[in-house]
Amino acid sequence: MTTVRNLLRIPSARVALVILGAVVFLAIFGERLAPHDPLHQFPDVLANPSGHYLLGTDYVGRDVLSRLMAGTRLSVIGALEAVAVGLVLGVPTGLASVWMGRAGEWVSLRISDTLMILPFTVFAIAVAGTLGNGLHQAMIAVGVLTSPGFFRITRAVALGLRTTQYVEAAELMGASRWWTLRTHIWTKILPNVAVAGAHAMGTALLIVASLSFLGLGIVPPTPTWGGMLSADLGFLEQQAWAPIFPGVLLMLTVGALNILADCIREASTGQVRRRRSLWTRATTRRDNTPIGVPALAGGVVVTEEEDQRVYAA
Amino acid sequence: MTSTTLTAVPVAPRTRRDGAAHHVLAVARPFGRLVLTTVTVLFLASVVTFALGALSKSNPAAAVLGETATPDDIARMNHQFGLDQPLVPRYFTWLGNALHGDLGQSWFTTVPVSDSIRQALPVDLSIALLALVLAIVMGVAAGVGAALREGGLVDRAVTVVCSIVATLPPFVIGIALIVLLSVKAQLLPAGGYVAFDQSPTQWLRFAIMPALALSLEVAANIARQLRTSLVGALRENYAIGAEMRGYSRRRVLFGHVLRNAIAPTLAVIGMAIPLIIGGAVMTEKLFNLPGIAQLALQSAQRGDVPVVLGTLLVTAVIVLAGSLVINALQVLLNPAARRGGAHGGPR
Repeated sequence: MTTVRNLLRIPSARVALVILGAVVFLAIFGERLAPHDPLHQFPDVLANPSGHYLLGTDYVGRDVLSRLMAGTRLSVIGALEAVAVGLVLGVPTGLASVWMGRAGEWVSLRISDTLMILPFTVFAIAVAGTLGNGLHQAMIAVGVLTSPGFFRITRAVALGLRTTQYVEAAELMGASRWWTLRTHIWTKILPNVAVAGAHAMGTALLIVASLSFLGLGIVPPTPTWGGMLSADLGFLEQQAWAPIFPGVLLMLTVGALNILADCIREASTGQVRRRRSLWTRATTRRDNTPIGVPALAGGVVVTEEEDQRVYAA
Repeated sequence: MTSTTLTAVPVAPRTRRDGAAHHVLAVARPFGRLVLTTVTVLFLASVVTFALGALSKSNPAAAVLGETATPDDIARMNHQFGLDQPLVPRYFTWLGNALHGDLGQSWFTTVPVSDSIRQALPVDLSIALLALVLAIVMGVAAGVGAALREGGLVDRAVTVVCSIVATLPPFVIGIALIVLLSVKAQLLPAGGYVAFDQSPTQWLRFAIMPALALSLEVAANIARQLRTSLVGALRENYAIGAEMRGYSRRRVLFGHVLRNAIAPTLAVIGMAIPLIIGGAVMTEKLFNLPGIAQLALQSAQRGDVPVVLGTLLVTAVIVLAGSLVINALQVLLNPAARRGGAHGGPR
């Protein structure tokens, strides 16, 4: 709870949460609040913004504002689904890998390596070609490839904590593994997973957009940000400003997620660093070192079994 | 140390420091581990690929004949493509053939999959290589420039590029390049491809823009990593000491500090390989290149499972080969391994 309180004390986090709150609001109510039917084709093709069409119309005369509002839901749900799949696959296996013994550990690491070398788009194409083209197939494919990120961070934290004195003391006093996990380790894993999740969510949003550009996932007449962006880019001659709207929405959301991740990291370490601007938070390189693991401060590698990539990133 | 290794060479006592033999041993241990890892990952990648095919509900008859396929047709074509065999023998036949370069036949054209891939692969490989070179050149130049003057123009430009590529989907950058370089400036063709062995100059004209689109994100990552490690290293005692002794900042940077920043930068490059190969899908579609991703996309749209699986497997192998090279470089560059220190290898 202190983490959440610390988080709300950081101004940048409040800004990010407001932006994300607005996105969630749009995802829930956007379709109902839209001024027009997002699929209705008006006779005014490629109209400029006006009182009637607040953000203009697209190449077949659909209202851009309505499509943006209605398209929020599928864009967000797609990304959420991918992150959820990644979490469910990555976190429990990451925890288990620490207590599985050498052989199990080695195999689980190699599985995560395998998933890391498969490029998102090629894998999504292959899944669409074999299991059918749809939002769920595409997002499960993306989620499976996101899971190594969660696996590695969970594993790194658990690995670092297993040898701390308070965990060893609990074990000596006869605490069950499950009790130690719940009491000591889970609370330390949570902020790490939250940071990784916020980053993964941003990445997933961009991948959903890229896939709709390729015609995978969501099929055209249904509005999504990525789909609108790629369609608008075909009419740059007529409407050079059109891609700005979905582009800015995407940038704002992904940027807010990155800022939030940075703020969670700061809030959960307890020490509020020298004030960093929104801009710095949104643009600094991702820091993948686990939070709250004393043994890992400075990115020291804990096992002989490499694991470099968690820290190298 | 009781770590498992693949090397048959007996472990020499630590006190012996007899140059060559010790050196070989120190490098062989991490290399053995690398080979074991790579083979396992390769095997797992083939399992994932085959599993996708096995989970697929499509069959050649339905894919080719559509609704009109009778149960007889389905059984006949399943037999023709060996799909009536049990899964496990099918997997090992498929894997054995794949190891010999035979990835099966297309369900539609019965053209061998490996032939289609062999035609498409040079497009991707040449452009990916060009992109990698561009990324390294631009990234290293920008990273060094940013570190030389912190908060200067280059430094800020790197930050801006980083934030743009980090928050926009990659196809936007490609389209921006098309608009800038071919529509507005009319310098380069907007799409198309000429093979390198036909005309290297023409190839470059067509390849440079896709390569640039692919390399920007990687270049930004390299620049950022390099800048961070350089700035950190410049604050170390040895760098300050060198500067105190009167060396110019430039000389300290290039002579002392840069070589220490190579290892983390290599790691960034290693992770860029899946980015470049995955990004190739986007650029191929944008610039209309006859590459492997177009092949995959077209085959996926008509349900041509063997071609799709072949492209996935080949892509995985390419990425794996790339990261193997980077990992091997890291082992070789690791001073502990080179000196034959305590246990060698990356720790």
